[in-house]
Amino acid sequence: MKTIERVRNSTIGRSFFRTPNRVTERDRAAGHWSNFLLHLYPVKVRKIELTFKYTAFLGVASIALFGSLLVSGIFLMFFYVPSPANAYGDIQAIQTEVIFGQYLRNVHRWSAHLMVLAVAAHMARVFYRGAYKPPKEVNWVIGVVLLVLTLLLSFTGYLLPWDQLAYWAVTVGTAMAAYVPLIGDQVQQLLLGGSTVGSATLLRFYVLHVAVLPVALIAVVTAHIWRWRKDSMLTMDADPGGADA
Amino acid sequence: MLDNNPRIIGDQRLLGVVPGKPGVGDRQEPAAEDKVMVFPHLLIRHAVAVLFVLLVVMLIALFFNAPLRELANPMVTPNPEKAPWYFAALQELLAHFHPLVAGVLVPGAIIMGLVALPYVDRNPSLDPRKRQIARAAFTVFMVLWIALTLIGFMFRGENWSWVWPWEEWHGEL
Repeated sequence: MKTIERVRNSTIGRSFFRTPNRVTERDRAAGHWSNFLLHLYPVKVRKIELTFKYTAFLGVASIALFGSLLVSGIFLMFFYVPSPANAYGDIQAIQTEVIFGQYLRNVHRWSAHLMVLAVAAHMARVFYRGAYKPPKEVNWVIGVVLLVLTLLLSFTGYLLPWDQLAYWAVTVGTAMAAYVPLIGDQVQQLLLGGSTVGSATLLRFYVLHVAVLPVALIAVVTAHIWRWRKDSMLTMDADPGGADA
Repeated sequence: MLDNNPRIIGDQRLLGVVPGKPGVGDRQEPAAEDKVMVFPHLLIRHAVAVLFVLLVVMLIALFFNAPLRELANPMVTPNPEKAPWYFAALQELLAHFHPLVAGVLVPGAIIMGLVALPYVDRNPSLDPRKRQIARAAFTVFMVLWIALTLIGFMFRGENWSWVWPWEEWHGEL
């Protein structure tokens, strides 16, 4: 502890941490409040929110899985070209030639499936707790958007290995789009970039999977967490004894 | 500090306020609705949850390889032709209803229903006993959806006929 104190009180330490030593709870709250990473969290929560029973930590689990997907996905991007001529061979090379390639492909695949499960379970837990009720209605709606984004991310990624499993799963999935009334054919055309799954589809799904949808998900999930903090402070201010939060 | 008018609190005369740690028996555990600092109480739990999730992912990834079938071939349709597991319920519905119903109306209604939920359910109570209709409706939906997903995922074989997963396995992850 002495060493930490000395580092904090050095010239560099003081340039880094603006807040004074966090001796009292008020100091610690001020430090929390001014911290960039912690500002998505409220300063205080009700004690019941610490329990496993309350959340089962499914929201955190979803975020952790998303982080795992980002890291493993960026790794895979170095070795993958989204064209029918290259994609399948690149996946084979990732599994046999690239160091830790098979392991990181496994991490990416299983994290993706687990993230769909975690997001769905998070939603069910929130429902049974009644946590979509005022003032949290909007955050529930944002959560529905996140569920859709998660499914789209998983589905666009499903095509990229360009094996029989990927090709026909996406053929089945996108065939449903053709049944949208009036604009069905146009929607399917837009998704596939042609009448069947082909090189244009692979490129479209790739761009959606590695750029558009992850950026959208990060933006929306940031709003989701920020809103969670705001709503939780509102709830605490509403009941007596919560004004200090 | 002498005071000729001593403070009387609860019939006790207050002699002074002493700095220092609380004595034995003074410490009170916060109740469920009391507030605690997020740093460190919630953060440490979140850190443990993250490490646990990453450990689970690591173990699964070490022992199970991601599937890779043969190269995509538009000329050869596999039988059965399976959607990803999270769309298995929709694919199962597709076998029973018109594609407009199974592929467009049902998923559209589910998403719209979820969006509308907080505006339809205006019951302010958080007590499970006072939200029995909402809980029952949601539970019925969940059970149906999970059952349909399981059926589409592993109880369907060639030509979408019924199979027992322990006899032949057609689930694809």
